[in-house]
Amino acid sequence: MKLPVTCPEKECCCGKTRCTLGKGLPKIILIGNPNVGKSSLFNALSGSYTLVSNYPGTSVEITHGKSRIGEREYEIIDTPGMYSLLPVSEEERVSQLLLFEEKASVYLHVVDARNLRRMLSFTLQLLEAELPLILVLNMMDEAEERGIEINIPELSHYLGIPVVGTVSSEGKGIEELKTAISEFTLENNAQKFRQKIDYGSEIEPYIEAVEGLLDPSEEAEIPTGISRRAISLLMLQEDRTAFEYLHRVEKTPGYWDENHEKNSEEIRKLVKAASKISEVHLSYLFTLKRQKHVNGIVEQVMEIPERSKNKSSGKNGKIRAEDDTGKKGSKTQNSNLDFSEKIDSILIHPVLGIPALFLILYFGLYLFVGVFAAGTVVDYLENTIFGGYINPFVTAKFMSLVPYPALQDLFVGEYGIFTQAVTYAIALILPIVGAFFLVFSIIEDTGYLPRLGLLLDSVFKKIGLSGRAVIPMVLGFGCSTMATMVTRTLETKRERLIANILLALAIPCSAQLGIILSILSGNPESLLIWFIVILLEFVLIGFLASRVLPGEAPTFILEMPPLRKPKISNILVKTYSRMHWYFLEVLPLFVLASVLIWIGKLTGLFALALKIIEYPTVWIGLPPDAADVFLFGFFRRDFGAAGLYGMHDSGLLTGVQLVVAAITLTLFMPCIAQFMMTIKERGFKTALAISGFIFPFAFFTGFIVNTILKALGVSL
Amino acid sequence: MVTKNSHLSLKTITLCAMEPRKTGKIDHLETKNPGILQKLMAMGILPGMPITLLRKSPSYLFEVDQTRYAVDREIANHIYVSC
Repeated sequence: MKLPVTCPEKECCCGKTRCTLGKGLPKIILIGNPNVGKSSLFNALSGSYTLVSNYPGTSVEITHGKSRIGEREYEIIDTPGMYSLLPVSEEERVSQLLLFEEKASVYLHVVDARNLRRMLSFTLQLLEAELPLILVLNMMDEAEERGIEINIPELSHYLGIPVVGTVSSEGKGIEELKTAISEFTLENNAQKFRQKIDYGSEIEPYIEAVEGLLDPSEEAEIPTGISRRAISLLMLQEDRTAFEYLHRVEKTPGYWDENHEKNSEEIRKLVKAASKISEVHLSYLFTLKRQKHVNGIVEQVMEIPERSKNKSSGKNGKIRAEDDTGKKGSKTQNSNLDFSEKIDSILIHPVLGIPALFLILYFGLYLFVGVFAAGTVVDYLENTIFGGYINPFVTAKFMSLVPYPALQDLFVGEYGIFTQAVTYAIALILPIVGAFFLVFSIIEDTGYLPRLGLLLDSVFKKIGLSGRAVIPMVLGFGCSTMATMVTRTLETKRERLIANILLALAIPCSAQLGIILSILSGNPESLLIWFIVILLEFVLIGFLASRVLPGEAPTFILEMPPLRKPKISNILVKTYSRMHWYFLEVLPLFVLASVLIWIGKLTGLFALALKIIEYPTVWIGLPPDAADVFLFGFFRRDFGAAGLYGMHDSGLLTGVQLVVAAITLTLFMPCIAQFMMTIKERGFKTALAISGFIFPFAFFTGFIVNTILKALGVSL
Repeated sequence: MVTKNSHLSLKTITLCAMEPRKTGKIDHLETKNPGILQKLMAMGILPGMPITLLRKSPSYLFEVDQTRYAVDREIANHIYVSC
């Protein structure tokens, strides 16, 4: 849908009649802590969809969208969550860089209303940076549920900026926000922060000195929208981005009049000197000063009822009862909270949590994805719909219309684009992936994943990961490519690398997992062997990697969002959007594989490749025919698994062979897309090293398993 | 640390040494790792804030103001609480 562009003052695109996305449109940037609902607000404002979940770190990338607000069209930019202007993890740095590089006409600082006290400090930082700011108090419903009251006009008065309350998931307050945005930009002057925070007489001279040195000469173009005071503060805290900025300034001709070398030298000296005069780390000092300021404001505008403030008084029945009668209607709300509290304590219980996890896995993953979707649905689609009606019809039609055998082979042959690529993608992969994403979305939206992180942290520590890594690992069961991107939320390079290796090696993605579950589900013993081997691999390689790779052991800090009831609409939209994404990614690769195989067959290369792969195939005890399964596996391991499904269907493999093939294929690199993502996140060398390790290792494991099973005389 | 009224004396202990379901006040954060310090503070775990320890196993779970946090023993050892 194209909207005509209207910029009343023609200032945004210099009078041109058409604006293109990202060029010239006035921008709105959403900033805020993780898991406060920025993406949900982005969706509500832009009418497009970006993933929304209930855990910190859902968005690890910047998302762009468009929205028409009042008379104007805007570009809306959603950012990964950040806790403060001074980033700690990689995805925070993504947002910080954006703030340095973009100049938007409005910045929306999105906070969780309930946690105003904690998040207002960041608002003050953004105001220090002199960004034109609107404060959005999101999740007002949850704050109200807890009896928290916020005086919005008063808060707006104290901060000197507009403040709007919203419930973005339900679209409440969005109109008010839009009005605030249009009024704000109409005023067209960035409101300056009224209260300047005083960081104390000891450090202020340093802040001002650095700020003064950063002052550009009159005509110089200032390369950022962030105020020099904010940059000065970041420099004193030795922030990397701020120094990169200094570096850029040095290279900007005419930024400083003449002696620019002297200026930057002087700044570095000041930073060193400042860090010496303070007993504590400067970021500690700054944060405490800001928080003091925040506390002053919060005391004036926010009321938190006793019970909510201090849950530990729960033991004291009297205090509780009095509080309950204090507020009308709060009793049902409280019992709601109590109920979710009870479930919560089971989910994270060191003993009860484990059976709870297995129940979720059994019903969600095994029964729904494995047995129902990958079994019943796929069976019906593949054998009845495609095998019985569509494929014979299409094949017959095609044969009669196109009399060339080579083309017939390309489209409707054994590995044809239609008979193989399209059939696999629609009849096999799509239902499984869809079912998985449905279950996964529900789990995600309840807030179970951070709880799983808490539960498994001490176990994950043994393999060099923290409980935080649970999130990308579980996501990896959906799609390794997505999960590889999410490893960004992990704190150390070492942890990101280990997570990446394990994702590539031992976490099967849903498509593959579904097929394997359905192939092996006929024989529980096979499934158990497969499961144990993959689990052992996961633990063993993680353990070895954590021993071999240099760096510090990971630490674990994770915010625990409340358990929430998933919204059906969000789950459906999310599942659909993931399926859509997945399908678009899978289909071209499948088609490409069909085409390559076709070319390979024409030129004889296919036969040659098969001959080569036959060696390791036979070596791990499989019939030579199984070589093409592994050849497909190089494209995508689920494609290989689909081939395995075919062989299983025609009864070509024994039970042991099936398990060995399934294990080998599970350990393969996930797919070309995941490989590309690894290159992007870890660099080419690392990506190559990972795959150079994985392929031989997969066959090696297959060999070991086959040898052991044979030696034990197991028949499955 | 010297406290004037011995019968009212507040002891300062790490979060690890605290009993579950007890509430105290964060006294200070002590770590040589500036990254961890920054992270804790940015997440709102600040001196002066009341803190309630909810459980110690499988990991440490505590509440500051309106938010719950899960941390490992290592981090819990950096948080000093007076109670």
